Amino acid sequence: MSDIVLSFDRVSKRYRLRRGWHTLSFGEAIGRLRRRVRASDTASDDFFWALRDVNFQIRQGESVGLIGSNGAGKSTTLKILSRVTVPTHGTFSAVGRVGALIEVGAGFHFDLTGRENVYLNGAIMGMSRAEVESKFDRIVAFAEIDRFIDTPIKYYSSGMAVRLGFAVAAHVNPDILLVDEVLAVGDAAFQAKCLNKLAELREQDKTIVLVTHNMTNVVQHCDRVIWMDRGTVRAAGDPEEIVEQYLQAVQPQTAAAAAPTLDESAPIRIGTVTARDHRGETDQPLVYGARATIEVEYEVTAPVSDPVIGITFVNATGHALGGLTSRLAGLKLDVSQPTGVVRLVLDPVIFTRGTYKVSVSALDERIQRFYDMKSQAASFTVDGPSLATREVSGHVVYPHHWESNGGQPS
Amino acid sequence: MTRNPLRELAQYAYLILSFTRRDIRARYKQTALGAAWAVLQPLSLMVIFTLVFDRVARIPTGGTPYPIFSYSALIFWSFFSTTVSQGTLSMTANSNLVRKIYFPRETLLLAVLLSAAVDLAIAFAMLGALMFFYGVAPTVTLLWIPVLLAVQVMFTFALICVTSAVHVYFRDVGHALSLGLQLWMFATPVAYPMSVVPENLRSLYLLNPMATIIDGYRRAILYGQPPDLARLGMVVVFVVALLGVTYMSFKHAERTFADVI
Repeated sequence: MSDIVLSFDRVSKRYRLRRGWHTLSFGEAIGRLRRRVRASDTASDDFFWALRDVNFQIRQGESVGLIGSNGAGKSTTLKILSRVTVPTHGTFSAVGRVGALIEVGAGFHFDLTGRENVYLNGAIMGMSRAEVESKFDRIVAFAEIDRFIDTPIKYYSSGMAVRLGFAVAAHVNPDILLVDEVLAVGDAAFQAKCLNKLAELREQDKTIVLVTHNMTNVVQHCDRVIWMDRGTVRAAGDPEEIVEQYLQAVQPQTAAAAAPTLDESAPIRIGTVTARDHRGETDQPLVYGARATIEVEYEVTAPVSDPVIGITFVNATGHALGGLTSRLAGLKLDVSQPTGVVRLVLDPVIFTRGTYKVSVSALDERIQRFYDMKSQAASFTVDGPSLATREVSGHVVYPHHWESNGGQPS
Repeated sequence: MTRNPLRELAQYAYLILSFTRRDIRARYKQTALGAAWAVLQPLSLMVIFTLVFDRVARIPTGGTPYPIFSYSALIFWSFFSTTVSQGTLSMTANSNLVRKIYFPRETLLLAVLLSAAVDLAIAFAMLGALMFFYGVAPTVTLLWIPVLLAVQVMFTFALICVTSAVHVYFRDVGHALSLGLQLWMFATPVAYPMSVVPENLRSLYLLNPMATIIDGYRRAILYGQPPDLARLGMVVVFVVALLGVTYMSFKHAERTFADVI
């Protein structure tokens, strides 16, 4: 288990920006020509470093996720791993046959039939004729296009072509598989099939490098995560930890105090928002299944008739998970004092493990006009069932119990 | 990461065949005449050449009917010009693949040669019909054709190793291609016999390896003569040396094709 099959040793990759001569003024062109002639064409504005001193090792049988925002160097890393290009500096080594599930169907010729393309694509991915022949039926079944296999693929829907491409690539059977964002292909049922294929390869002790923006897939299917940022490795390690760090970094915390008041003349304003766990602590994670409180302080500056407080829960990437208002429970806010506190009691907390934020708003009595709105006014973490166990998915676990035909579980 | 390129190429033999099959199938898909185009092209050139060089310019052919005189060179020249132009453009024509998937890039060049060879075979069958029609008897010197073809293929491959790689960086190559090939054809004894080249220009003229090769085909097919062995020997030495240098350069350059293509 400890033998290293992929290794990057101080790998750097430089791209020339290749601004065409026609984009330059006459003077710039002369300047460039002179630099070229003097063999000192190293003006930094002509180059872009996609990777700088990247080091990592991947062991046999490991499943590694590669994450990072666009332009972080993931694609360049993948290109070097798949031998499509070579590093400018440093060394890359690979042991075993590397197969790539990258841009599936890149080798398709649209005038050829599905059948002809299966053979062609198989060959491009390094399969022998006998290998393609022996896997042909399984490939066609996987792609679910058996009726159209002898139709030129220019008549295929884009989904069919992509499924066929994935089906071929998934049957290449390399020792090391590079997967780039292809899990986003097809409908939910086809994605399930793809995940099964991935699980099957993991069981066969294949090495997998998965590049994706889907953090759930990373947490659920990787043993380790490498987080790339601006051409370097920012962090590597346990998927849940690294994904958490990554999500916090891409969606920086907005301090509640910094959020401007929506309308200075509004009669009610949101103050500090605090999340408290079941013991009332503010610096501890909320515990799944236990009580928790979101405490909202507010300020009343003018007489106001029956205002409403709204709270929306937001995940780490900023997507709203759902919101509710004080009106739903029929609460009448106390606006007789200049300041007040209202508490939303979650009993129990139903979130899965992770980081969450709350946006808090104050609205008029018809719940139509905002008096105030504090986006991401507070954030909290939850200690609860983890996606990594694959026992839950998403962000919430609905209050529930199961029954089977024998009766209730113990 | 040093690999023996030839050993690796052998592992990709099936890919070469697959690219070849793709090129052939795709070439004649949605055509009404299909593979007849392989004959129609040299045949129509033959008609034009006969009108221009035989009827108008009265090129001497040593008694051979001009149509078969030109056709016997044209089919091999067509093979050369087709493979040079398609080979030169093959990296950029497959940029989608080159950008995303690793495979030895010369498989594309070899597939161009193989798929064009199929057209050559069809056109060659037509040559048999013409020989019968004009009463040209085949001789044992026809056995020189495979030898000459091998030299031509090696020369072409060596050439497109360079032109295809340069074309990745400078698309000017593609623009210069058809003009260059036309000039080259007139510097090669396709439309006229070697004998019309002035004696004092002959050694300069023979710096063109295709001159010796095309002349060799015609001697073997029409005149029952072996090629000029001294000249062919020099061409072989030159081609082998060229092949070594250009193939190595190609293998070096191909590593970063994906970055610029």
